[in-house]
Amino acid sequence: MTSATGSSAVTRPGFARASWVVCRQELRDLWLSGRGMPLLLAFSVLLSVTSYLVASNQALNFLEQREAVNLTLQMAVAVAGLMVLLIAGDGVSGERERETLESLLLTPVSTRSLVFGKAGAALSLWLAAFVVTSVYVVSLSRGVGIAADALVAGLLVGTVLSVFLAGFGLFISVLSSSNRFSLSVAFFALLALFAPSQLPTSAQNGWAGTTLLHVDPFTSGLQYLSKVVVDAHGLGTDVAWLVGPLGAAVVAVIAAWLVAGRLKLSPGRS
Amino acid sequence: MVEMAVQSHQLSKRYGDTLAVAGLDLELPTGTVLGFLGPNGAGKTTVIRMLSTILDPDAGSFSVAGVPGTDRAAVRERIGVLPESAGYPRQQTGREWLAYHGQLFGRSPAAAREAAGSWLEEVGLGERGSALIGTYSRGMRQRLGIARALIHDPQVLFLDEPTLGLDPAGQRQILALVSRIADQRQVTVVFSSHLLAEVEEICQRVLILNQGRVAAQGTVAEVVRTAAAPRTAIVQVRAEAARRAIEVLAAAGVRADQATTRGPGAVVVELEAKEPTSSATAQVLTALVDADIAVLGLEIEGGRLSDAFLALTAPS
Repeated sequence: MTSATGSSAVTRPGFARASWVVCRQELRDLWLSGRGMPLLLAFSVLLSVTSYLVASNQALNFLEQREAVNLTLQMAVAVAGLMVLLIAGDGVSGERERETLESLLLTPVSTRSLVFGKAGAALSLWLAAFVVTSVYVVSLSRGVGIAADALVAGLLVGTVLSVFLAGFGLFISVLSSSNRFSLSVAFFALLALFAPSQLPTSAQNGWAGTTLLHVDPFTSGLQYLSKVVVDAHGLGTDVAWLVGPLGAAVVAVIAAWLVAGRLKLSPGRS
Repeated sequence: MVEMAVQSHQLSKRYGDTLAVAGLDLELPTGTVLGFLGPNGAGKTTVIRMLSTILDPDAGSFSVAGVPGTDRAAVRERIGVLPESAGYPRQQTGREWLAYHGQLFGRSPAAAREAAGSWLEEVGLGERGSALIGTYSRGMRQRLGIARALIHDPQVLFLDEPTLGLDPAGQRQILALVSRIADQRQVTVVFSSHLLAEVEEICQRVLILNQGRVAAQGTVAEVVRTAAAPRTAIVQVRAEAARRAIEVLAAAGVRADQATTRGPGAVVVELEAKEPTSSATAQVLTALVDADIAVLGLEIEGGRLSDAFLALTAPS
């Protein structure tokens, strides 16, 4: 039995160590007993169906091979981002709802390490989804030699967007008392971010339209993918399209960092 | 070791227009088991949350184990808390959950696993440590919660209604566990409960909170005296002497009546609450013996913590 006066081996964990302890536990919860595997399975099924459809259209000459790869990659980035958002949005408000947050807040680790440990686990979904996606991308791009560029671009855009969505999801989650609220807000915000890509071409051409397309992280990120995969531009040619996603990721991480420092048992109550 | 495990000065908390805790002054000597009592909504959970740094007080100050409440991380290292509405991750095993918290308190993974195993044995969950928490009964979860609160060997333990929702056997298990931990490990315990008889049994001191204010604090005897709880005695005399006994007691200034539900010779006597029980009963016995009335039995009622509690928390 350990001593009642405290063990000499006990030292208050710093930010990095505490974040890693939280991340490791969250990874275990997510992948061994949580929603990680079912989500990844659903993602794989969706990707299989999409790949089958684009491959069929390609065979019928309705779709160019590069466009087929691009479509698959874009869908993978978008759906994986949604999964990251789902897990991140549940991160803190889910603990509140299950009444497990208080025991975590009673530990001496900083609230930021709790939140950023959870962010690490949420991002693991994107990495797993990317591994699955890479199989389909390699298969679909056989013969046109775009697999390497498509995978690098996909990894880059997907990672930046996932960081943005993890930060955004946790930001909402810290401020929400219920999962339903945090997930609804996060989901509707995600839909709003997809909206600019659906604007008519005329609206996308003006100064305001172009700015909106560049600022919106999803539209600009997917535009970058399109430039690399469909237009065969080099990876460094259209980096201007990455400014939007990178800026959004930085803002979301800073916002999550700020609210994480003020994480309370009940939002709005000190 | 510091002399006072918990000290607070004018600790206050307000939720909107409601004053949840009003100027709490508390001094709890190290090694004491404090029964923290009060009706629902009295402010007990708010006090525990303030002392455990989960809630910020609106006014006042406190220290735990000699550490000022403003140094949150240092306070948390010295306290263990079983919250009132503690949730448990159903998909983790008891051992895994304890080891996780051990690491959050700074133990290495190996040391945390070892501590988890030791505490599981200590709370009687050694054989169920590898089972998912989702399969635990409520009593087992509460014992696991106590083990989690103790995983880092705290100096002060806050237990917020640990027996809530448990059957009598479960309640006894928790009380025995708390009593044993307090005895063996010299941990100061703040024990919030509605089980007054049990609090009386295991706590050296009690504090009764009512509408956010301290209604009484001290030893059980001191609190009962402070409360001046109404006390009665049932005096057994021969059936034919009951009427005369009531007259004799009335003449001696003691209110008495027949206790018909207790038998024909039972007389219920109201004892003067402000008097010590011994002198009040001596007055009754002397009056009856002087009148040649044989006293067959005497049973004191009231004067317990529950009476004091009801008197102190009755709506004004």
